[in-house]
Amino acid sequence: MACVVFDAKRCDAGAGRTRLKLVGENFPAVSNDIKMETLSFAVEADGLTRIYKRGGEEVRALDGVSFRVRDGEFVSIVGASGSGKTTLLNLLGCMDAADRGTLRLAGHEVGAINERARTRLRRDHIGFVFQHFGLMPTLTVHENVALPGLFGRRIWPSRHQKSLDARADELLERVSLAHRRNHRPHELSGGEMQRVAIARSLLNTPRLLLADEPTGDLDSATGESIIELLQELNRDGLTILVVTHNTALAAIAEHQISLRDGRLIQDSTDQML
Amino acid sequence: MILLALRNLWRRPLRHVLALIGIAVSVATLACLGAFGQGYRDALQSELNGMGMQMMLVPLGCPYDAAARVLRGKTLEFSLPQSALLTARRDPAVSLAAPMLMAVVPQVHEGRTDVWVGIDQSTRQMKPWWKVETGAPWFTGKNEVILGAEAAELEMRRPGDLFYSPETHRTLRVAGILQRSGTADDSLFFVPLTTAQAMFHQTDRITAIAVQLHDPQQTGAASTRLQTIAGAQVVTLSEMMGTFLNLVGAVKTLLFSLAIVALTIGALGVFNTLLSIVVERRSELAMMRALGASGPQIFALLTLESAILTLGGGVCGLIMSAFVGRALASVARQWVPLSPNEVLFKLTPNVAANCFLIGLGVGVLAGVVPAWQASRLPPALALNAD
Repeated sequence: MACVVFDAKRCDAGAGRTRLKLVGENFPAVSNDIKMETLSFAVEADGLTRIYKRGGEEVRALDGVSFRVRDGEFVSIVGASGSGKTTLLNLLGCMDAADRGTLRLAGHEVGAINERARTRLRRDHIGFVFQHFGLMPTLTVHENVALPGLFGRRIWPSRHQKSLDARADELLERVSLAHRRNHRPHELSGGEMQRVAIARSLLNTPRLLLADEPTGDLDSATGESIIELLQELNRDGLTILVVTHNTALAAIAEHQISLRDGRLIQDSTDQML
Repeated sequence: MILLALRNLWRRPLRHVLALIGIAVSVATLACLGAFGQGYRDALQSELNGMGMQMMLVPLGCPYDAAARVLRGKTLEFSLPQSALLTARRDPAVSLAAPMLMAVVPQVHEGRTDVWVGIDQSTRQMKPWWKVETGAPWFTGKNEVILGAEAAELEMRRPGDLFYSPETHRTLRVAGILQRSGTADDSLFFVPLTTAQAMFHQTDRITAIAVQLHDPQQTGAASTRLQTIAGAQVVTLSEMMGTFLNLVGAVKTLLFSLAIVALTIGALGVFNTLLSIVVERRSELAMMRALGASGPQIFALLTLESAILTLGGGVCGLIMSAFVGRALASVARQWVPLSPNEVLFKLTPNVAANCFLIGLGVGVLAGVVPAWQASRLPPALALNAD
């Protein structure tokens, strides 16, 4: 049944809500409970709590946050400054560990694996897009896109390098920046830099793309083109979680999560599901 | 990874070049020291071996100073009675005993000092490699002089020329001119022993006796016997070698301390540079962690950067030492107890490799702590920096 859901998503290439309808339409006799068990989740967070100590005082940056993200969903995480968005993104990106609660990413229990396995999980299954792009100024556009491939395992470096180069070229084509292949980041516009960052995040064919304010440093027209690109990637089946203040970006997400003071105050799929 | 490390280093060329210079200077210092030590040992060995003797009889006093002065063509304050020569020649182990009477004649107006050496046929036998450039190979009369190659150039004399020595009021005929040998002999004025004794009012006195043995294995026994000659003391070649090397060793220890200081400064330069890299590129390194780089990979990247830096420094240091080493060796020549005429700077592949590896090791070690710090950077910094 999971396979059917997956196929439906691929055929439909639309929003998750439509897909759920499809599932319901295709399998009218199946109960909701069984349907939930067979759905494939990219993220399953249950009671996530992260506490920081500042000058002997405990600050609950996240307090019992629970939600699930299905494969292929476009999720926006919104909230005011200090609401815990970045802390949540750190946890989802395996860059930090929760003090309490459980987190499953792409089927892996993050709390049960060590730092090395978390790094591997991050490298192989998660792509990152940063607000300030995070491009290496000394590398060309092509080298920046290929950078995550450097950190992968390789048995035959030269063969690996060839396939890496081809993959980076393919991704540059995808984000319409093939002509900028040999330019340095400082020679690009903000929108182009973000496109390069998006291409880089796709190098290892991630299952989940995490974006932190991807339009935050861009003007509205450029921001729109980035939103379109993200939508396009989502239509191709990529699960995207985006932290944003951009209302246009938040609005296109089929699944919205709102945080306030470290607590989840709204999860649009609760009503939906 | 190498390309990435190189590009990163190229980002702050001035700072990295300064760190590289620090390593280069320390490797150059080490290489100069090593090459000088090697060169001095080889040259001394070759020069002492070339003398064709196993020991030297010198007047009482500091035997090593006396031996060094004689070998450098300088005079001694004291002398030996000529009877010591007869006693030495009677020893069964001695195959040849060559007397020398050395005297200095300062040429104040010309700013130099001429050294005159009185010798006899046995000296000629002890130095079979002596080649005469022009003229006769030996004295044909009492008032004759054989000039070393440099002495002949200075005096602008040719065989047959008459040579007046105003200090000793003597007129001598140039019998022959020696071929350049690269030893102290080149600058000496050789006269028959009896002529020298008369010229310098040293009747029946000699400065030193060079002794050649039938069998060099008998050095110990012969030395004990010759030591009994009144007013004389024996210095064997190996003792001379050991003493000179020890004296040079003391200078080397001092210079080695300087090299350690230079190496420490170089290492601190690398440490400081790497630390600045880590502080400056914190968010960038964290971003790489976020993109999937493991802690050991970040450690490897930073270690690679310090290795490239020290590798470059090491190569530059060796090139630098090849250029300045000879000049430094010629300056150091003035301070060493017995300065052979051969080249004192020998940068052998072994010496170069050792210095290079020491520099590389120290540089890479200096980069370990910053690299470790970088590898511990939490990837979450990538988002926090945003």
